Amino acid sequence: MENEIVFSVLAVVAVVSAIVMISAHRPIDSALSFIVTLISVAALFGLVNATFLFVVQIIIYAGAILTLILFIIMFLNIKDENLPEEKYKNRWLLVTSILILPFSVILINLILGSDIAVNSVINENLGTIKDVGLTLFSQWILPFELVSILLLVALVGSVTLSKRKD
Amino acid sequence: MLKAYMILSIILFSIGVIGLISRRNIIVIYMSIELLLNAVNLSLIAISGDIGNASGHVMSLMIIAIAASEAALFMSLFVVLFRKKGSLDANIFDILGNKDD
Repeated sequence: MENEIVFSVLAVVAVVSAIVMISAHRPIDSALSFIVTLISVAALFGLVNATFLFVVQIIIYAGAILTLILFIIMFLNIKDENLPEEKYKNRWLLVTSILILPFSVILINLILGSDIAVNSVINENLGTIKDVGLTLFSQWILPFELVSILLLVALVGSVTLSKRKD
Repeated sequence: MLKAYMILSIILFSIGVIGLISRRNIIVIYMSIELLLNAVNLSLIAISGDIGNASGHVMSLMIIAIAASEAALFMSLFVVLFRKKGSLDANIFDILGNKDD
């Protein structure tokens, strides 16, 4: 029962801060409210015993990626005249919401009508660092190596891009 | 509980798509993409906890790694484009198509 209450609070916080994120005018406001979304999603991970992913989400997403965005926003010294004008922003948001709404209603109806897992048994060991590590290094070893190559390529690419002078 | 997680994931994904389509500020567009990835992560982890298999956790770990490399590339692109154009409007970033630049 407590799980349901915690879930509802976290879900409301995540959705509200995501809406603030897409509708704020200044990028620093959206970045700060996106941090709230990320942390509540991390807490939702913790609620289903995904302890390792909880830590990774907080360290990498909220700690590294969002800090990088905040650094960039502060370094670039963005003023109001650098921002796009977006005169019809609210109208665009409304029109797009009306366009997207039928698809999400169909999907939600699909989920509600399906017979997936009403009796979720939570295994205590699932999601610990040992379990995730064993799965990662036994079944997923090739994707792991490919992701490391991808990270190397992204590192080299970003250094090359930002050092180029023209 | 799994259904609630899936519904929340759908709602977050829809919010991300709305932001992705209707905004013109590239930083907000980038954060909407991150929101899409997060919504997918949420449903992967909920399903994975439900069927009792850690593969979903590993998949979302991969997604987080891909998001990190994407963040690095996006940030360097922001810096380069902002220096060149002095704006964050997604509509004026068309230097791939113009020869006279």
